[in-house]
Amino acid sequence: MLTKIAGGEIIDPVNGRLGKGDLWIRDEQIVEPPAGGDADRTIDASGCIVMAGAIDIHSHIGGGNVNTARLLLPEQHAAHMARPAATPLSNAGWSTFETGCLYAKMGFTTVVEPAMSPGAALHTHLELADIPIIDKATLAILGNDDFLLSMIRDDSSQQTIEDYVAWTVGSTRALGVKVINAGAAAAFKENVRTFALDDVVPSYGVSSRKIVKTLQAAVDRLGIPHPLHVHCNNLGAPGAADTAAATIAASEGVPLHLAHLQFYGYGTEGKRKFSSAAARLAELVNSTPQVTIDIGQVMFGQTVTISSDVMRQFSARGSASPKKTVIHDGDGNGGGIVPYRYRQDFYGTMQWAIGLELFLLIDDPWRVFFTTDHPNGAPFTAYPVLFELLMSRDARNEMASGGSNGAMALSTLSSIAREYTLEEIAIMTRAAPAKLLGLDDRGHMGSGALADIAIYRKSKDIAKMFGAAAFVFKNGDLVVKDGEITRYRWGRALRLNPQPDKAMVRRLREYHERRYGLSLDWFTFPDSAIAREQPFGEVACRS
Amino acid sequence: MAVAWIGNRETLVERACEQAAMLLQSSRCPVISFDTDIHGTRAAIALAERIGAAYDHVEGAAISRETALFTDKGAMTVAPGEVRRRADVVVIVGELPAVHHGFVAELADTVPDLSAKNAREFFLIGAEGAETSSFLGSRKATPLSCEGAGLSGTLAALRAQRAGRRVSKPVSNFDDFARVLSTAKFPAFLFSGHGADGLALEMLQGLIADINRKSRASALHLPASESGWGSVLASTWMTGFAPRTGFARGFPEFDPWRFDVERVLASGEADLHLRISAGSVLPAGDNGVKLIALAKTAEPVAGAEITIAIGEAGVDHAAVVYSGRTGTLAAVKAGRGSDLPSAAAVIRLIADKIPAEAALPC
Repeated sequence: MLTKIAGGEIIDPVNGRLGKGDLWIRDEQIVEPPAGGDADRTIDASGCIVMAGAIDIHSHIGGGNVNTARLLLPEQHAAHMARPAATPLSNAGWSTFETGCLYAKMGFTTVVEPAMSPGAALHTHLELADIPIIDKATLAILGNDDFLLSMIRDDSSQQTIEDYVAWTVGSTRALGVKVINAGAAAAFKENVRTFALDDVVPSYGVSSRKIVKTLQAAVDRLGIPHPLHVHCNNLGAPGAADTAAATIAASEGVPLHLAHLQFYGYGTEGKRKFSSAAARLAELVNSTPQVTIDIGQVMFGQTVTISSDVMRQFSARGSASPKKTVIHDGDGNGGGIVPYRYRQDFYGTMQWAIGLELFLLIDDPWRVFFTTDHPNGAPFTAYPVLFELLMSRDARNEMASGGSNGAMALSTLSSIAREYTLEEIAIMTRAAPAKLLGLDDRGHMGSGALADIAIYRKSKDIAKMFGAAAFVFKNGDLVVKDGEITRYRWGRALRLNPQPDKAMVRRLREYHERRYGLSLDWFTFPDSAIAREQPFGEVACRS
Repeated sequence: MAVAWIGNRETLVERACEQAAMLLQSSRCPVISFDTDIHGTRAAIALAERIGAAYDHVEGAAISRETALFTDKGAMTVAPGEVRRRADVVVIVGELPAVHHGFVAELADTVPDLSAKNAREFFLIGAEGAETSSFLGSRKATPLSCEGAGLSGTLAALRAQRAGRRVSKPVSNFDDFARVLSTAKFPAFLFSGHGADGLALEMLQGLIADINRKSRASALHLPASESGWGSVLASTWMTGFAPRTGFARGFPEFDPWRFDVERVLASGEADLHLRISAGSVLPAGDNGVKLIALAKTAEPVAGAEITIAIGEAGVDHAAVVYSGRTGTLAAVKAGRGSDLPSAAAVIRLIADKIPAEAALPC
């Protein structure tokens, strides 16, 4: 089918298309305007902006910990408004089915679950397969597992470690690798309660820094497009900015991605010993070109924090609201679920302001990524409001007026005049994520790109504009019209497929049988287990 | 071999599915109970939404106790692999389901390689007079009991004694337990909703929280039913809720009392029961409620309006199931294999006969 999207304001920074024009789609792809071709379907996009489908690089949408959070908090699903059932199970609050629909309505077409425990890869992919419409991807967690820590302790060769990382990425169908508070989950099992970059995991004698550096090198040498995705030590602690700064310094010219930097943007100044270190971190990011970051913006209200940083979550149990938590010591990381309400008090306002300071003080939109670390800073449904805050100083000032004056007095936010342009939003939410993840077929609207397109009716109400797209195409299918789902389809999970080293497979087989008393088969699965047609889409490693 | 019946009359599966769909469509209060694999659960829940049914697991009572621990209180838990490799103390809390005895025997036969102690000690809570369980082999387990107090009372007394509070009936062998705990690196408490009520599960978590103030400990959840816990996981990601959820008002509502299918059937609130299980226990079709049975059977289920034969997950067909041994979902191959269809396949056939705007999403 040939579709013409006519008369919209095209915003495609990758291809330098900024202005009114037409866009043509043939089946699943964007194509050059056909010579004398008549469209089978014409979409009137006059008065609209036309962007590539948005890509979220860090959103906890599926897997063991996410599902445990659902289980822990039935009252939060029950609070969802009942709506007429337009699509299967789309009226179930905070379900996989609802997740896909809500993302699509906002013009998102690809979302990355950033914390997949390798042992629970099947569970994670089954959940992702039940998220309709959008494509998904996962990052496999390494860095607290006995196999890797033992190899580092025993000075195994870089090649052997790369073989293990490659096997993990391939067998779990991941798009990249994440390390979460490297070594801390292993240390917590031995009753260590705090863990910094140069602390050593007992029994292994391996520092957190060494783990990060080892994985960073392996990811880089394997040609995994997405740099090592790092959740640093000391998340949420006053003074965590020092840890983030040390981790940035440790990148040493090799690409590194730091997740949810806002949660590390805390200094120790002021009478509460809690202050903004956003300007310092932003300056460091600006001057370290190999480092990319996402924010983890906090928005006010109820949410639930979900993290495989089990040590941190254990220490946060006392702040749970409501007062119930799950703390799990897993094979490798485990996880912690702590419900939390961000209040407009000093601390909540300070966190909110720090996130926005980082967004606005980091100059290069290609290296700073919007996230709320869904649901840790706020649910992903807060994105449209977040875009408004980035694009409107007045909107920031209005929201700040409801927060703590004490916090705002210690923040530079009110003095920052910068307002994101639509082009910068398109870079941060489309072009840059595609580049960061190695997804050449999306994030832009050049000829040959996947026809993932979001069309928004222009409005002064930015949150409303981004909250309900006028039209969304996924793989050329019109899936949303006027903010409502028009077609239900099943996306794929994007994965790398490095070939496993046979010697490593033998070694892992022997390891699992000896240490766990189980065949390695228990930890792998065939594609057919997902029970969907073509559940995976393959992405190439860098050569 | 016949695989479908309407009443006692053999028929084609297609025809039986048509008849089942007709009954489900015309029902005013249908309920579904199941004991099936992940894809069977997914299909059953999608069907429940389409017909406005409530659903529950066949072993709903024990599963509901385990679910309530998470929905109401939260918990500290540990993966089975970590217990095998790290637990220097194993405390068995109440009676464990037989399906997990093999793993406990494995713990008795191995030592924790990630623990400096390189040895394991065993305790039994709430097993009055017992020093060994058959599945522990020759390993001796120290009983911790409190005469007449039951499991929750014993756990409460144990927690109180450990905190230095006075108790009316002390726990047997408490001093041994306290001594071992004082040097333990990672005690693991094994529990199940099979042998522990809600109060016992809550008290156990309180004890573990107390220990974690200064040292480490956690609890290994060994579900009362592996298929039941798998269904809890699938139900939770699909609807946000565990089983005992109903779609009568068009959207999912979780109510462990209202949608307790056994209660609903006993009280006569339901007019149609779709039971899905390839297990050996066949349903009774004599409680005055129309029954559609998906069962592994070579003959019609007595009293059922419709019977359709299904295969067993991991025996007749490949499947995804919850494994208590790994603490997560696992893909299992077909054992001997057969032509019997999976529960998911039959449910989809039935759903296809029920008019709807879109295909079943599972």
